[in-house]
Amino acid sequence: MEFLLENILNLIGFIIGIIIGAFAYVGYKNTGSPVLFRLTIAFFAIGIGFGIIWGGYMIDDLILQEGKIHRGLQALGLGTQTIGYFFIAFSHTIKSFFPKSRYFRSVGILPLFALSAMNIEHIIRSFSFILLVYGAIETFVSFLEGKQKGALAVGTGLALLAFGEFIAWYSLVFPESILYSISILLKISGLISLFLPISRLPLRKIKFDDLEDEEDEEFGK
Amino acid sequence: MGTYRKQIQIVGDILDAAEELTIDQEGASITKLIQKANISHSRISKILTNLVSQGLLEQVDSKRACKYKISMSGKEFLREFKTFSEFTNNFGLTI
Repeated sequence: MEFLLENILNLIGFIIGIIIGAFAYVGYKNTGSPVLFRLTIAFFAIGIGFGIIWGGYMIDDLILQEGKIHRGLQALGLGTQTIGYFFIAFSHTIKSFFPKSRYFRSVGILPLFALSAMNIEHIIRSFSFILLVYGAIETFVSFLEGKQKGALAVGTGLALLAFGEFIAWYSLVFPESILYSISILLKISGLISLFLPISRLPLRKIKFDDLEDEEDEEFGK
Repeated sequence: MGTYRKQIQIVGDILDAAEELTIDQEGASITKLIQKANISHSRISKILTNLVSQGLLEQVDSKRACKYKISMSGKEFLREFKTFSEFTNNFGLTI
């Protein structure tokens, strides 16, 4: 059951991530907006992250048949998703999140090499959780200012993803419980909520034969 | 506290104003565009020159003053700008 839910979640995440990423990319090409560029990276990373995990499950299902995903592959997928969440949060000016201390920057990465893949997974999940909560809060604040329904749906989606990430992390304390399945269902709901306002926008191919390059330079600053 | 508009937003506002003010192929005067898009004269002149060279606006010769009307490319750009503006707004961001 958990295996099936994981497959569904990751496939949905992959498809939604790539669709929103492609839409943002078309927007970036046409307007040169750096915000759309960051959203392009964010959603391609999220989509690819889900895709890596889905691929891992498929490889196990079809070839290895061990009944579990390779931990390294899972960490890679989660890490890629975290990059995506970071870019969403970064769009809300998260620059202060970077550690400023030179010492911290130089040694901060070292402990990662001393940790097992399982521990790395915990760290990545906690980062994802923080970034998602930040993104959700900022989006909710924007909703309160502009009263735009789309922002409410996206905020709810990010909040559900954050809650799902938290439950997934917490389920490590209680393995074999229903918590992990709940977290997957929460994440699926979050992804659907994230996609709802985007699905209302016209997803069509846009061409600007004469403008493209010059316009990026002129107006994309 | 007021928020600063990005260049792309100003362009969007000017095109929006030009579209609204273009009646019967007459075009909109600079004064009307300034009022509608809420931008200074010195700044709008450069942007209008750019927009005309990009083919988003067309300059209409008039006896009294120079007027501008939105082109087909301009209308298309404006429509897409609004779509992607709504897209970023959904994330609580501005384009």
